This record gives sequence, C-alpha cells and structure tokens, in this order.
Amino acid sequence: MEQQLDFLVDKVVAELQKKLGEMGQTAPAGTQKTEVPATPQMEAAQKATSPTVREQLALPVEPERTAHVPNPKWQEGLNELLDSTPARIGVWRTGVRPLTKTMLQLRRDHAAAVDAVYGEVSQALLDEFSMFTVETQYDNTENYLKRPDMGRILNEEGVRLLQERCQKKPQVQIVVSDGLSASAVDANLRDVLPSLTDSLKSYGLSCGTPFFVKGGRVASMDHIGELLQPEVLVLLIGERPGLVTAHSMSAYMCYRPRKGMVESERTVISNIHRQGTSPIEAGAHIGTILSKMLEQKASGVKLVL
Amino acid sequence: MDEQWIQSVGIDVGTSTTKMIVSRLRLGRMSSTFSLPRYQIVERQLLYASAVHSTPLLGFDEIDAEGIGEILRREYETAQISLSSIKSGAVIITGETASKKNAQHIVHLLAERSGDFVVATAGADLEGVLAGKGAGAEKRSQTLQGTIVNVDIGGGTANAAYFARGRAIATVTFHVGGRLIRLDPQGVVQYVSPNISQWLSAKGLRIQTGQAIGFEQIKDIAEHMARSMLDYLTGKERQVSGLLVLGPHLRDAFPVDELTVSGGVGQLMTAGPVNSIADVSRYGDFGPLLGYVLQQEREKGAYPVRWLDPEQTVRATVIGAGMQSTEISGSTVHIKPELLPIKNIPILKLELTSEQLTDPEQLRKEVASVYGMGERLFEKTAGIPFALAISGIGYCSYALLQTIAQELADQYRQTFTESKTMVVICETDMAKALGQALALRCKGAPEIICIDQVRVEYGDYIDLGEPISGTIIPVVVKTLAFDERP
Repeated sequence: MEQQLDFLVDKVVAELQKKLGEMGQTAPAGTQKTEVPATPQMEAAQKATSPTVREQLALPVEPERTAHVPNPKWQEGLNELLDSTPARIGVWRTGVRPLTKTMLQLRRDHAAAVDAVYGEVSQALLDEFSMFTVETQYDNTENYLKRPDMGRILNEEGVRLLQERCQKKPQVQIVVSDGLSASAVDANLRDVLPSLTDSLKSYGLSCGTPFFVKGGRVASMDHIGELLQPEVLVLLIGERPGLVTAHSMSAYMCYRPRKGMVESERTVISNIHRQGTSPIEAGAHIGTILSKMLEQKASGVKLVL
Repeated sequence: MDEQWIQSVGIDVGTSTTKMIVSRLRLGRMSSTFSLPRYQIVERQLLYASAVHSTPLLGFDEIDAEGIGEILRREYETAQISLSSIKSGAVIITGETASKKNAQHIVHLLAERSGDFVVATAGADLEGVLAGKGAGAEKRSQTLQGTIVNVDIGGGTANAAYFARGRAIATVTFHVGGRLIRLDPQGVVQYVSPNISQWLSAKGLRIQTGQAIGFEQIKDIAEHMARSMLDYLTGKERQVSGLLVLGPHLRDAFPVDELTVSGGVGQLMTAGPVNSIADVSRYGDFGPLLGYVLQQEREKGAYPVRWLDPEQTVRATVIGAGMQSTEISGSTVHIKPELLPIKNIPILKLELTSEQLTDPEQLRKEVASVYGMGERLFEKTAGIPFALAISGIGYCSYALLQTIAQELADQYRQTFTESKTMVVICETDMAKALGQALALRCKGAPEIICIDQVRVEYGDYIDLGEPISGTIIPVVVKTLAFDERP
C-alpha cells in the first residue's frame, strides 16, 4: 500500500509538472488546479483490489514524449526520430538553457533513479511467490554502495536459512535480488518469473527453492553456488538505474557457480523492462539458455547459443 | 553464430522476357551479446544474373513449360549453383503471362526445378512492389520527405508502386506495355491487345490488326498511352486514363514527388531516338517507341515530378524477387523445425483494442468473431487453415499473456478441430512467450508455430522457410491486395 501511494504521488507530481509546463507563467493557479483531480484518484486507488487495477498502478504512467521544437520543418520526420530513441532529443531551449519542463523531467527521472537504489522490494510481491529473504553482509545501503565485496557474501543468518530451507543440488536454482534497483524487481518479477517457470516446465527441467537476497551483488551467485551446488543458477537482479529507466533488470546465469568464478563464465540478458527487452520474452528465453547450459555443461563465453 | 549467409533465387517469367538471378543475403546479429538475439538481413549481394531470354511460348497464350525448365537448367549450370543450397527466393509470373492458362502449372514446375525454396506466385501488386524495391525506389523513399512512385513497364503490363518513408503505400497496374501492339518490319499491325480497345475508342484512336500504320500515327498512340499513364500516376486526370487500369483503382490522390521507370520499356528510354517504322518494330512490337516517347516526356518536364534514373531497369522485378522478397522473423520464436517449410498460408488478423485487452469477456467475443470469419473464409483442413496475425498488444504482462493464450487455444481447439498445426504471428516481440503459453495448453494438439516482428495485412499470404541455425525463419510475405485494406 505504501508503495502504491508513493507511485501515486509520483504520478501527481508528473501531472503537475506537465500542467505547470503548459500553464507557463500562471503557475500558482495551475498548482491549485492539479490537486483537484488527484483526490478521486487516491480514493479509487484505496478501493482498488482487483489485479488489473493493481497492475496498472505498478508503474507511474510515463508522460507522453513529445518534441518541444516550435513549428518543426518536418513534423513526421521529427516523430520518427523520437520513436527511434529514448534519448532526450527535440527538447528545444530557452536562451542557452533547457526549458523548465525539460529540467523538471530530468530531475524527476534522476529522483526515480535514486529512489530505486534506496527503495525496498515489496514484501507482498515476495509473498506472492512464497520467497523468503536472506541478507548479505551489506549492513546498510550506504555501506552497500561503498563495499561491493560485502554484497557478495551472505551473512551467517542467511547461510543458516539456506541450509535449513533450500533443496540441495537442484537442477535449476532461481535467485532474486534487489541489487541496485529494488523497483526493477517490483516492476518486472511478476512477468519474468512465471514466464521463466513455464519455460522450465516446457523443457522438463526441475527447479529448487527460490528465495530473495537483500543487498545482493551479481557475484553473490558464487557463494550461493558453494552452499546449494545447483547445476545451473539464474540470478534476477535490479540493474544500476539510469535516466531512461530506473526499472531495468538483468538475468545472470551460470553453470555450476562456485567461488573463484571468472566473469566470462557468466551469461547475461540485460535491459529487461517495459521499454527494453520484453520481460515475458526474456523469461521464456532464459529457460532456453539454461537448458543449453545443461546440455553443453558450460556458460559464459564457452556457451554456444 | 554471429554471421550467416543464405542463398536466394529470383525468377521472373514475363510476357516477353524471362530472367533469373541468384543472390546471397547476409544475416547479422544486430543485438549485443547481453540482449535477446535479434538478426537482420544486413547485406544483399547479387551473385549471378542471367541473360534476358525471350519467354518461350506455345501459340499466343500458353507458356512453354519445358522451354522455361530448359532455360533454368542451363542457367543453374552456368551459375554453378546447386538446388539444395538455395534457402529462399521467389518465382514471379508477371504481366499478361499470369493470366495465361497454364501459369499455375508453371509455378509448380518451377518450384520443383529450382530448389526447395520459398515460392511466391504471381500477383500484380506484389510484382509492382518487388519491382519498386529492385529499382531502388523503396531505398530512395527512406531518404525522402515525400512519395516516390516506380512504374515497371514490361511487355504486357505496367506495375506501379508508391513508396513513402521506406514503406509501400499503394500499387496500381496498367494495360501499358510494349507487346500490346505488335508490328512487322513494314508497319503492318499484327496484334492489338483487346485490353486497350476501350481506352483507344475513348481517346478516338484507331488501330486494327492487318492495317499498315504510319510512323506519325503509331507515335500518336504511344504518346497518348504514355501521357494517360502519367496522368493517372500523378493524379492529373483519372477518368479516361482510368480505362487503362487493370484491377482496383487507387483510392486516394497521392501527391507524387519523384518518379522512376523500370522494366524493359524503362531500359528502352535510354536506347536513343526512334524515327522510323524500322526503328519502332525492331522487336516486333511498339516497345521501343513507347520508351522513346516517355524519354521525350521526361525531357519536356511537363509533369510536376522529378524523374530519376532507376537502379535497375529490365531486371528490376527479378532482382526485387530474388533479393528483396525475403525477410526474417524475430529470433526468439516458438517452432517445431520438422513442420517447416510451410507455404501459402492466408493471413487472418486479430486486432485487439485496449478495451478487449482489459475485459476478458470482450476478448472472448472478438476471438470468437475472428475465428468465425476464418471458418467462413477458409476451408477446413487437417493442416493450417490460416496464420493468425495478432496486433494491438502494446506491453504484454504475464497475466495478460495467459488470458490471451487461454482464449486463443480453447476456441481454436473447439472451432478448428481437424487442424493439426496452429500458426500465430505477433507484431511485437513476444512469440516465444506466447508460443510457450499456447503449447503448454494444447500439448501437441494442435502443434504451435509462433513467430513475431513480421508485418502482415489482410489479404497477404505468407511462406515460412526452414529455420537457419535453429531459430531464424526466412519469411516471404506476399502482398496481394493493397486497395482492399481498410
């Protein structure tokens, strides 16, 4: 619920910025105006229980991208350029500076990136997939950012939990971690994970006990590999957020993960989010990659896809 | 695998000439190793172009199938190409030849004798588009703000295709061609195609078989024909010139910025002046004169278009057929290799609206109505009744995917009980996920083929070739009816 409210606030702020941009100089009047439609939306959200509505709320609605170039010589061509890239093009200027709305949009996207790093994955989501949580030795987010090495090793409690609750030596081990973007997990797990599970089912592969790692780094797979000894492991982890999206996820996969693995032994599908690699398609394709790893007993650069 | 070549062949059997080409297409991986694989055709190379042969005929309206088979056999030999190495391509039976009585027979014969590749049969619209691609009009349109039209004038027909921003937007076919009027060296008319008699009388022009015709007289007819076609193409006048149109008319007036003329007559435009009956009749028809008067129109510049030289003239169609007809599907797909290749599957479109995507009841009704249409339009078959092309899905969540898959699978199994294979084509990158969701439900009855990122429309037919390196499927989309589109 708290998460949903956050998103609503985001939405309202975005709406406000849009209106502000349109209003131009009559900003104070605009501020008052935009608060009016927000109230019924909040109420609707509080009442909302159906999955479809919840899904719609899972991400703030992106404002439609339009160029701010006044009287472009060729509107159609400009639209084609906009469609070809998520980069901030056609933003126009005032004097030698960007327009206020461009600046606000940039700051909003930057804020979303910061929020993604400092945010937490929704417990309700983890419960939905019956995942329990273990922590690394990261301690707190400030330390997590400064000490990547501590995010690669589970703490004692985590080690104990894995040994107690996880199936040992599974064929496929699925692990989810917040990494640098908790919101990437929130935004994509519901689509990637079931699609991956279906794919494993199609290939007739069996899966161990999935769990969530808080404060994890990619190489936490090595420690987990030592503990559980799966044949293949896939880690779904939030990527370093950028200004295009803060909700991008990666899937790191490797054959027989263990301490001392080199990075070239990992296979990765990155950029999984709504505007990037399609989450459901990624999920289905991860299954194919894992089955090839099992066939070829290799991963990373040694794997022939 | 980062790079792969496939060989593709194009064969064009026209009213007056037959030619073939062999090309190779390079598939390159366009995505980084950190993304889902995505391949595209990144290079198209012409390996071999045959001489331009006269199309062997038996009498006036029958193609000599054995004769064509013989030409091809010799050409394959000269080109040193083995049939088994050809993975894709198209056979086009063009112009008036297509309406000749044994065209179907020829297509099948050619399919057998030119390798087990993907075959496209005739269709004036497809022919116009392929010629436009071969002539370079499609490529040119990508660098242009406006519209370019290429008209490919052969022996029996002229096929025009309009391109804007890299896409074919309309086609139209005319009864304009070199062999519509045939002459002997003395200027005695041997043949006048009945297809142009209405237009001739509307223009008040007279020409009859057996008549000895003067140079000025035949030139007058050629000029009128060239201008009528240009009038229609540029939208200057479409009442009388419309009499030359074969099949559907253009629905809208397109502003046209640039024009190219390809085909045999396009080549004759550059062949120099034609000043006497002997010059006119050097191929036994008035083709050279038609080319010359078009060249004069170009020099006069009376039409408000820029005339450009096409990249190809007489070989534009065959080059289009051989080099430009093949596309490839998205690389994450759901297939069973042993079910491929499949040919000539008609398209049934399922265009979903946002209401249908949020309300399962509406989705069910829409699927039922589209399947109902499929039942009425196509025969019941134990094979593949149609390929279902799904569009309108923007972002697809897992929950939505399940709803869609459930409806598609349930109703398909109820409605098309005999069908052993279901073919689905998605617009967006979701074929592997959807194919997997369908397969988990159908469990092999029917089998599922699901591909994506291929643009198809109502009235199109589709051929799917054998997969290359497991998952890359060559696709030929045969566009048959442009103007019936909504």
